[in-house]
Amino acid sequence: MKVSLNWLKEFADAPVDARELGKKLTNIGLAVDAMEVAGGDTIFELDVTTNRPDCLNHLGVAREISAVFGTPLRKPAFKLRESAKATSSAFSISISDPDLCARYCGRYIIGVKIGPSPDWLKQRLEAVGVRSINNVADISNYVMMELGQPLHAFDADTLSGQEIIVRRAEIEERMTTLDGIERALNPSVLVIADARRPVALAGVMGGSETEITAKTTNVFLESAHFLPQSIRKTARALGMNTEASYRFERGADIEIAGYACDRAAALIQELAGGEVLRGVIDVYPSKHKRGVASLRRQRIPAFLGADVDNTIVENIFARLEFKSEKTSQGWNVEVPGFRVDISGEQDLLEEIARHHGFDKFPSTLPAWKGFGSSLPGEAEERRLRSILSGAGYGEIYTYSFSDESTERRYRREVDPVKFINPMTEDATTLRTSLVPGILKTLQWNLNRGARDLQFYELSKVYSRAGERRELILCGCGSIRNQSVHETARDFTFYDFKGDVETILATFGAAVTLGSENLPDYYHPGRSARFGAFAVFGEIHPEHLEAMKIRHRVVVAEIDIDRILSARSQAQVQPIPRFPAIRRDFSLLLDKGTQYAAVHRIIAESGISEVARIEPFDRIETGSFPESKYSLSISVVYQSNERTLTDAEVETFDRRILELLEQRLGAQLRK
Amino acid sequence: MSSSDGIGQLRSIEQQFDRECASVADLRALEDIRNRYLSRKSGLLTTQLQNLRNIPAAERAAFGQTANAIKSKVETALDALQNRLSNVEKNAALERERLDITLPGNRRRLGHRHPLTIVRKEIEDIFVSMGYTVEDGPEVERTYYNFEALNIPAGHPARDPKDTFYVCDDVVLRTHTSPVQVRTMEKMQPPVRIICPGRVYRRDQADATHTPMFHQVEGLLVDEGITFSDLKGTLERFHKQFFGEQTETRLRPSFFPFTEPSAEVDVSCVFCDRSGCRVCKHTGWIEVMGSGMVNPKLYSFVNYDAQKYSGFAFGGGIERYAMLKYNINDIQLYYQNDVRFLEQF
Repeated sequence: MKVSLNWLKEFADAPVDARELGKKLTNIGLAVDAMEVAGGDTIFELDVTTNRPDCLNHLGVAREISAVFGTPLRKPAFKLRESAKATSSAFSISISDPDLCARYCGRYIIGVKIGPSPDWLKQRLEAVGVRSINNVADISNYVMMELGQPLHAFDADTLSGQEIIVRRAEIEERMTTLDGIERALNPSVLVIADARRPVALAGVMGGSETEITAKTTNVFLESAHFLPQSIRKTARALGMNTEASYRFERGADIEIAGYACDRAAALIQELAGGEVLRGVIDVYPSKHKRGVASLRRQRIPAFLGADVDNTIVENIFARLEFKSEKTSQGWNVEVPGFRVDISGEQDLLEEIARHHGFDKFPSTLPAWKGFGSSLPGEAEERRLRSILSGAGYGEIYTYSFSDESTERRYRREVDPVKFINPMTEDATTLRTSLVPGILKTLQWNLNRGARDLQFYELSKVYSRAGERRELILCGCGSIRNQSVHETARDFTFYDFKGDVETILATFGAAVTLGSENLPDYYHPGRSARFGAFAVFGEIHPEHLEAMKIRHRVVVAEIDIDRILSARSQAQVQPIPRFPAIRRDFSLLLDKGTQYAAVHRIIAESGISEVARIEPFDRIETGSFPESKYSLSISVVYQSNERTLTDAEVETFDRRILELLEQRLGAQLRK
Repeated sequence: MSSSDGIGQLRSIEQQFDRECASVADLRALEDIRNRYLSRKSGLLTTQLQNLRNIPAAERAAFGQTANAIKSKVETALDALQNRLSNVEKNAALERERLDITLPGNRRRLGHRHPLTIVRKEIEDIFVSMGYTVEDGPEVERTYYNFEALNIPAGHPARDPKDTFYVCDDVVLRTHTSPVQVRTMEKMQPPVRIICPGRVYRRDQADATHTPMFHQVEGLLVDEGITFSDLKGTLERFHKQFFGEQTETRLRPSFFPFTEPSAEVDVSCVFCDRSGCRVCKHTGWIEVMGSGMVNPKLYSFVNYDAQKYSGFAFGGGIERYAMLKYNINDIQLYYQNDVRFLEQF
C-alpha cells in the first residue's frame, strides 16, 4: 500500500528523515518495498501483512510511528454542522442478515454541489494511487485512505423508497456495478438494496444506477461493517478485488464506522456544500465488546529470551492505544477494535518484540542433549551419486508435472494424480515415470547442438496409490569422444548393462537377467530387465523418431529404494594364497546360442575351483561354417587349499569341453 | 729388440689410442676400439705384453711397468667412455619418447551433481551437525496437514485455488514442507529437532524468480524453554556456516499463520558485503527465509502442552540459496538442464 509522508505527518511526528523512517517502518514489520520522492512528498510502498488491516490507512501507520518514536498521535479534527431535520425522518435502514453485517451507519446530505475536488485532495489521492473522480466520491476514498473505513456514497434520489436494506441477494437477481458489468447474483452474495432492487454489492462495489453524477444533489452516505469471510467469498466468486473489499476481507475497525461517517459528511459539507441531516442512523444490533488479553510478565524473558522493563512494555501498549491494567502476574490489555489480530498473550509478546526491537534480544543457541541424523539410506545415496558422477552421468532436475496422454504412453497401467486446477495443458498431472522428462532433457540439449550426453535423475514418481523414488540413467552419442588420443566409441546397450550391474553389485542386490514384460518404448531386441530392480535398453527407434531424436538412446530405469532396502552388508573374503590359473578357449557355437548358456554350463559343472568365467572375443564369420560363430572365453581356476597341478587343470578343461560339446555341440576352434 | 724401442712403440700405441679414442661417438665404435687394443688374442696392447719375453731381462721390468700403466689407462678411459656413451644412448632413447606435453589431457568424463542437490546436502549436513534429524513426507498431501493443522482454516485466503494445486477438495500438492513438521509432531512428544527438505508446488507463473515447483528446507525445534533468542542464534549460526563467517543475519517482523512472532530473515548481501549492489537493491540485505516462534495454536493439533513447551520454525527455498551461493540469476536454469549450465558444478 502507498502512504504519503506528508499525510502521515498530520497524525504523528517522526524526528528522522524519510530514509531513516523507512528503515524504522521495515524494522517493525511494515516493510518498505520502495520509496519515491515526488512533489515535496515522499511516498512509501508498504508491504502490509494480511494480519494488519489497521495499517491499510494513514492513521494506522501513524499510530505505529507514534509508538516507534514516542510522539503523540493526533486524530483528524473536524466540525460537523447538522440541520434540525433528523436523518431518521428521511431514511430507514434495516439489516436482514446481522451475521454478515454487524453495523451499518448512514447519513443523508442534501443540496450538495458535485464538482471537481480541490487540488490538495486530488494530489493526496493521486499520490497514493487513487484516481480523482468528483468531490463526493473522492471524499469517500480520502476517508478510507485516512481512517481505513471504506465508505460508499449513493445518489439518494435514485434510491427508491428512502430505504436501505442489507440482505442476501435473491436467486437470479441481477445488478450492474460501477464498472459497467452486469452481474448475476445469488443468495451467497450480500447486497445493499433499496425498496426495489440491489443497489450495491456490500463491501465490494456500488451499483451504476445509484452512483454519484454531476447532477446529484442529495447524497446518502454509507459507512458499514461486513463479515470478512462473506466479502472474500463474494469478491472471489465475482472475480473482483477493490480497495473496499481488500480492507473488509482482512477485517475493518467496527468501532470507527460512525466516526468515519461523520468525518466524511463534514468534508462533503466543507467541499461540496449542502446540509447534513441531524444524527447518524447507526444500526448496530450487538455492540462490539472489546476483548481482553493477558500477559504474564515472566513470559517475556521465558519466551523472548531477554527481559523488557515494565515502563517500556507499558509505553508500547499506550502508544498502540491498548488500555492496559497491571495485575499480580503482569497485565490485562483491552484490545481496540482496529487490532483484529490481537487476542491472546502470544499476540502481546509479538507487539513487545516488534516495538522493543528484534535486535534487542541476544542470539543464543538452544541447549540440546540429543543427536542429529540424516534420512535413512543417506550414506548409500551419497555412494550411489559418487558412482554415477564417476561414471560420467550428470544429474538433472525435471518438473514433477506431466499430462495424461504422455503418462498413458509410458505407464498405461498407472493411474496418475490429476489436478482440478492445472495451470497449463502440459501440466495436468504428476508424472508416473521419469522417462519423458529425461528424453525431453536430451532433446533440449541435442537441439542446442550438444552431443554425447549422459544424464541421471533421482527423484519421485507419483500415482494415486502413492509416491516413490526412482533412478533413471540415459546416454546418447559417444561414451568416448574422438580426440588426438583416442578414437570415438558410441554408447552401447552393454555400457548401460554394465552400469546397471555395477549399481546392483555395489548394493549387493542379487538378481537374474530377464526379458519378460518389457515396456514397448524399448527396442524389442535391445532391452532387458533385472527382476523388479531395473529395466534398461535402447529406446525404440519409432519412439525417438516421434521426438525427432536421431540418435540411439539408451535408458535404464532403476527402482533404487528397492535396491537400497534389499542391500546386504558385504563381508570381506580372504585374498587367495595360491596362484590362479587362466585358460583360454575359442569355441565354435551355433548361431543363436546365448552366452548365458555357456556360462551356466561352466558355472554348474561341479568344478568348485572355477573362480571366474569371462568372454573376451566374439567372431561372427571366419574359417568356420556359416551356421557357427566363435566365442573366446577365459576360465580362471583357483583353489584356496593348494597350488593346482597341470594334471588337475587339464582334467577341469576336459570336463568343461565335454559338457559344452554334449549340451551345446560346442567345439574348440582349430 | 731393445727396451727403448719397445717403450717407444708402447708410447706410439698410446698416442694412437688417444687419437682414436677422441673420435669414438657411439657404443659400437667403442667396442671396436676396445677390441683393437685389448682383445685377448690380437689387441695391440695385449700383443705388446705378450712380447714381454722378447725383451732383455734387465729392461723387462721397465717395459712391463709402462705397458701395464698404459693398459690400465686405456681400460679406465674406455670404461669412462662406455659410461658416458651409454648415458647418452639412454638419454637419446628417452628423448625419442618425448611427448608434446602441451596437448590437452585425456580427461575422463565426469558427471556432476545438480546444484540443488549440492546445496540441499550442504544445508542438511549443517543442521545434522547442529543436532537436527532430517525428515521426509508426501508431496501429495491432505489439506489437514497442509492448512488446518498449520492454523490456516477453511476459507482462509492462503488456501485459494489460484495459488494451490488441488487434486480434490481435501488433497493438494503441498505448498510448503510444513506438513512434515505436523506429521512428525503427531508421532512424537518434544524435544523435536528436525529439518524437512523437499519439493513444493505453487501456482506461480514461471519467471526469473518463480517456478510452479521448487524446493524448500524447513526446520522445527520444540523443547522446554526455547526462546526467540534461540531462533536468532540458530539462524545466525546456520548462515555463517553456509555463506561464511562474515555473514550477518537480520530478523524483521512479518506474519505467517503458523508462527508468532514471525520474522523475515535477511542475510548481509553475499555479493557486496552490505555496501549495496543491484542484487540487494542497494539495501545491503537479501531476504532468504521466513521464520518465527511456533504459534501455540499449532500445539493443540498435536497434543503438545503449550504451557510447557515452546519452539521455533523456519523455512527457505533451496533454489534461492543456490542462486546466492553460485550467483545464478534465473531460477529456470535449474529445470532446463542445459549441459552448459550443469557442467559448471
